[in-house]
Amino acid sequence: MRMTVTLAAAWIAAMPVAHAADHAAMHGGHDHAAMGGMMAKPVAWTGYPLLKARMNGENRELVTIAPQNIAADGVEAYSNDIRDASGHRQLPMEMGGARLDKPAAGGFHWLSAREEQGDKVRVASTVYFYGERGAKNPAAMFMQQKQELEIIPQPFPREHSRYRATEDWKFLVRFSGNPLAGQKVVLETQNGTKTEWTSDAQGVVTVHLPDDFKTEETQREGGRHGRGMPGSDFVLATQHVEGGKSYLTAFNSSYGKDAFDQRSVAMGLGFTLLGMIGAVPLLRQRKGKAKSGEADHA
Amino acid sequence: MLKALFPTLGRFRFTVQIVMLFVTVYGGALLGSYTVDRISQALPSLSCAYDKVTGDHCILIVAQHQLHHRIGEALVKAQEVTLKVFIPTLISVAIFFSFFFFLNKAFCGWVCPMGTVQELLFRIGRRLGRPLNRLDPSGVGKVRPVKWLLLLALVLGLPLLAGMGVAANELGDPYCQVCPSRLATTLLTADAEQIAVRTSTTVNFALGALGNALFGFVIIAALAVRLPFCRICPLLSWNALFQKLSPMRLVKKQYDKCEKCGVCEKACPMDIHEIGREHGKKAFHEDCTLCGRCAEYCPDDDVIQIRFFGIRLFGSSRDYYKKRVKQETPEGMSKKRVIPILSKQENG
Repeated sequence: MRMTVTLAAAWIAAMPVAHAADHAAMHGGHDHAAMGGMMAKPVAWTGYPLLKARMNGENRELVTIAPQNIAADGVEAYSNDIRDASGHRQLPMEMGGARLDKPAAGGFHWLSAREEQGDKVRVASTVYFYGERGAKNPAAMFMQQKQELEIIPQPFPREHSRYRATEDWKFLVRFSGNPLAGQKVVLETQNGTKTEWTSDAQGVVTVHLPDDFKTEETQREGGRHGRGMPGSDFVLATQHVEGGKSYLTAFNSSYGKDAFDQRSVAMGLGFTLLGMIGAVPLLRQRKGKAKSGEADHA
Repeated sequence: MLKALFPTLGRFRFTVQIVMLFVTVYGGALLGSYTVDRISQALPSLSCAYDKVTGDHCILIVAQHQLHHRIGEALVKAQEVTLKVFIPTLISVAIFFSFFFFLNKAFCGWVCPMGTVQELLFRIGRRLGRPLNRLDPSGVGKVRPVKWLLLLALVLGLPLLAGMGVAANELGDPYCQVCPSRLATTLLTADAEQIAVRTSTTVNFALGALGNALFGFVIIAALAVRLPFCRICPLLSWNALFQKLSPMRLVKKQYDKCEKCGVCEKACPMDIHEIGREHGKKAFHEDCTLCGRCAEYCPDDDVIQIRFFGIRLFGSSRDYYKKRVKQETPEGMSKKRVIPILSKQENG
């Protein structure tokens, strides 16, 4: 009999923190050969597993994917072109993380890291986008089953867009490819928000990203598509027990301040009005020319 | 059946424009968020990437980003400037051209959402009895270089300089920041974000203020001037670079009556006077958007044609002209009455 267990949010939140802390204490932070995986330094703002993408210096095509709060042997990378041989790659762990080299396809990449110990499976997942064209619709790649328990953006912000505070975004929660209705999903942000949401009958959870940017110290550059707008990180996590195994999956990404931060609607309307006023003389009829258009070809 | 639905080329073009307005402005909402990834991402018309539900976006934002992020940065590290640096740009241009090849500058006249918005506003202006302001050859001569200056400075120059670190980073996509299509298309999706001016830096503020003022000017000017923004649009000049490489052409043969006629000049929404005075290659001017109005309003058989690989798609004819002028004057004045109250107030 299939058994679905939804745990209390507090328990879900507490478990991975304890896991990471215990894990670090047990293995001295870096030596994880006994576990078959490398454990990166845990981050302070969440205990859920994360994948953090970092550019290697100025080279935009070389990206390091650093697992955090998870002991993983490597990172799985799925590119837009799922039929291509390089569509699914296993990236080995190196110092500081796994190196993601840009394949010819470019575009969206789904990245995940997995840790399995006994009856516990923990998965970190994220999306990385290469600025060059992918020329492939990533929907099929996103929907392809990659792990048992998954949180899939519906959709992920496309190029020239991003997650931003005060916006609602949808995510599909599913297990073995089947949507999980009534599933609790926890949201934690780097700015300190902790809240939870529940999926609907189709397994879709609508997450409202909080406007929790408080101090400039906690804000960082939002990347090349953020036009220098401050950004922060969030993670969504969910837990599911089936067949005697406990599955925890997290999806993390960055989000920016709300769309109207450092923008002025009033000034925008004012300058638009100014331009309109500048064109008003064109609307005035000039004597003798009022009917010229009709006169010529009536 | 088709003739009943589309009795004139103008009606057919208007229908295509409305369909393409939905595709370019709402395509992502109608066909899926990632539609933009499967069409071109290098469309030869001003469908805006800042529109979150656009079906595709224009080549200009791609060109600016590649000059900013790739070529400009590589030039700074000169030893790394290799063919590989230019490959993404070349791919973008190749994809652009694969579309452009078939329709040529008809992307301006049939597909561009900003062109459609301006034409709709012009129709409203006719109904409101607003005057038609045409540019004489002298005025046209002064305006024409502006589109090349915008292409060189805002699409090519500043993004490259920003990538090299010479200009401010906010100048990475300066044309997009002043493009009226960014405001028009996002407002059509009820997104007010783009109308709000950025206040984070002086450069952002200046670009936003300029862009909003230009948008306001174009929206009102379009009531009394045909396609006011198209005349200075850098995509018009970008497309002009490739104009001669497409088999889709406007063809005009030499004809004695042309010197005394000039109806096609009046019909041209871009005020291309050459269409009435020249023939052959000179008649297919770089500003032509292949809207076909000159062919519709030419009163003589097959003097002006739209051809694809030499095959006549549409040609002028006396009978068609007679039918067309009964509906609308060459200047775009509908034969239907203007709104009476506004007309009377203005006239007197």
